[in-house]
Amino acid sequence: MEQRRPAQRAGAAADDHPDGRRRQRMPPGLPWILPALVLSVGLIYYCIAYTGYISTLNWDGISSHPKSVGDNNYVRIFHDPVFWKAIRHTVEFFVVTFIIQTFLGMLFAVLFHARLKLAVVYKVIVFVPVVLAPAIMAPVFRHMFAPDGELNQVLRDVGLASLARPWIGQTSTALPVIMAITIWEWTGVTFVLYYAAMTQIDQSVLEAARVDGAGNVRTLVSIIWPGVRGTTVALAILSAIGAMKTFDVPYLVTIGGPNYATEFLGTYIYRMTIPLDHVGYGAALSVILLVAALLLAIAFQLVGRERKGRG
Amino acid sequence: MLETRTWKGRTILQVVATLLVLPYLFPLIVMVKGSLAGQGWHNFQAVLKVPGLGRFFVNSIVIAAGVIVLVYIVTMMAAYGFAKLHIAFREVYFWLLLACLTLPEVVLLAPLFTTALHLKLYNTYWAVILPLAALQVPFAVLLTRNFLNGLPNELFEAARVDGANSFRGFVYLVIPLTRPIAAAVFIFTLIGAWNDYLMPLVFLQTTHMQTITLVPQFFVGEFSNDQTKILASAVITAIPEVVAYLCLQGLFERGLSAGAIK
Repeated sequence: MEQRRPAQRAGAAADDHPDGRRRQRMPPGLPWILPALVLSVGLIYYCIAYTGYISTLNWDGISSHPKSVGDNNYVRIFHDPVFWKAIRHTVEFFVVTFIIQTFLGMLFAVLFHARLKLAVVYKVIVFVPVVLAPAIMAPVFRHMFAPDGELNQVLRDVGLASLARPWIGQTSTALPVIMAITIWEWTGVTFVLYYAAMTQIDQSVLEAARVDGAGNVRTLVSIIWPGVRGTTVALAILSAIGAMKTFDVPYLVTIGGPNYATEFLGTYIYRMTIPLDHVGYGAALSVILLVAALLLAIAFQLVGRERKGRG
Repeated sequence: MLETRTWKGRTILQVVATLLVLPYLFPLIVMVKGSLAGQGWHNFQAVLKVPGLGRFFVNSIVIAAGVIVLVYIVTMMAAYGFAKLHIAFREVYFWLLLACLTLPEVVLLAPLFTTALHLKLYNTYWAVILPLAALQVPFAVLLTRNFLNGLPNELFEAARVDGANSFRGFVYLVIPLTRPIAAAVFIFTLIGAWNDYLMPLVFLQTTHMQTITLVPQFFVGEFSNDQTKILASAVITAIPEVVAYLCLQGLFERGLSAGAIK
């Protein structure tokens, strides 16, 4: 067996090496990828180019002779305090939701590996929010976080009346509420991913650690956490993309307010483009968001390559 | 993972898990309890009596089905082309597609809006189906291409030697062999299309065309802010999703976590 292996590998290499010959035997594939290219690349790149053009206009979206203003929209964005607020909210939102989601997802995954009673029921409860549309849950959350809503009622019932407050009506708690709703929605995914990743950890390593006297905490920190590093990196990327795409929850629960306290780039672009008819300004904001998303995609590819290199 | 040999240890873990799960249950309880407040079941009767409620479901089904069919066909073909056929500058095309992976849909708003008006697609299903499908395809292709790369080339070569052209290779090899990954693509495309809010909000103007994600707003108008009725409508629109998940638990969890790792 061992002796035949190098020969096999050499054979495979020889097969691969005259790449041209091998590929020429393959039938042409361009017609097969064309529909996807037309639909996705065509539609999206067309929109991006169009957005780039609109971003140089002062346009209400209707008039047939929009005025060209060059880079004026971009200059104004740079001095727009709401834009910087939206950026800060996006970053804060990413950091907080990622850390808490990761922590809770890990915790649930570990707990569920410890053979709980009613585990199936618990799993369903944590995962159902992933399936429910944020748009459908939004009225529930507005109701729940209202001054006379269920959350304040529960706080009063358990003797924490001093904590009761108008959660979505004041600037200091509105953003944390948006974060909490997002965490509620996404923990199911982090949990399922970590759960799956933990089943891949070599059982013999865990047993060896036990034999060497490692307790639960030590095992968690030294073996399980490093063992699921790939999942954590993937979740960080997912959360970053999610933060940039955030729209439904802040738009529907707090309408970006009060006083722009929950304004994100997505809600700001929508506000500018549709209700306020500053289509040119909205397009310039879109271009900035687009560049940020692209930089993230590149970072994602680089991290992915590093991960492959290690593996 | 964790060792809980003693009765005490297991009880502590059970209590911790229960305390952690409760906040996840809370909004669902608020939703159901609120929908039954005031007039009780009459809230549901009132909501179900509103003419046109079924129409929202029909529209959501049509749009989700349209997106799924489009994404499935286009993705399977493209993944086959990328993984098993000859394409000059293949990676260039692939990168063009991958660059769309992280794109937030809101940046497409203005150009899509004006284009939809020009092409008379505004307030039609196509105005929602096409952009949603376009945004789902890049990731679906990435996933399916990786899956097809894992299948041996010899399989496809053998089929060619036996005289199968690439179309037959597609029908008799790609379609049946990609079933596991197709299930994941199906689930995350379904959830993405069914739960999408922004596209229907902007492109579907009349209630006759709107999807279930716009139901809460419709009822805010219909019942002039009667919270109990709005929550009852939320329960009614949430039920199909919860039932679908409970019936296909494993598929949903695998599909959504595959869809999550972008």
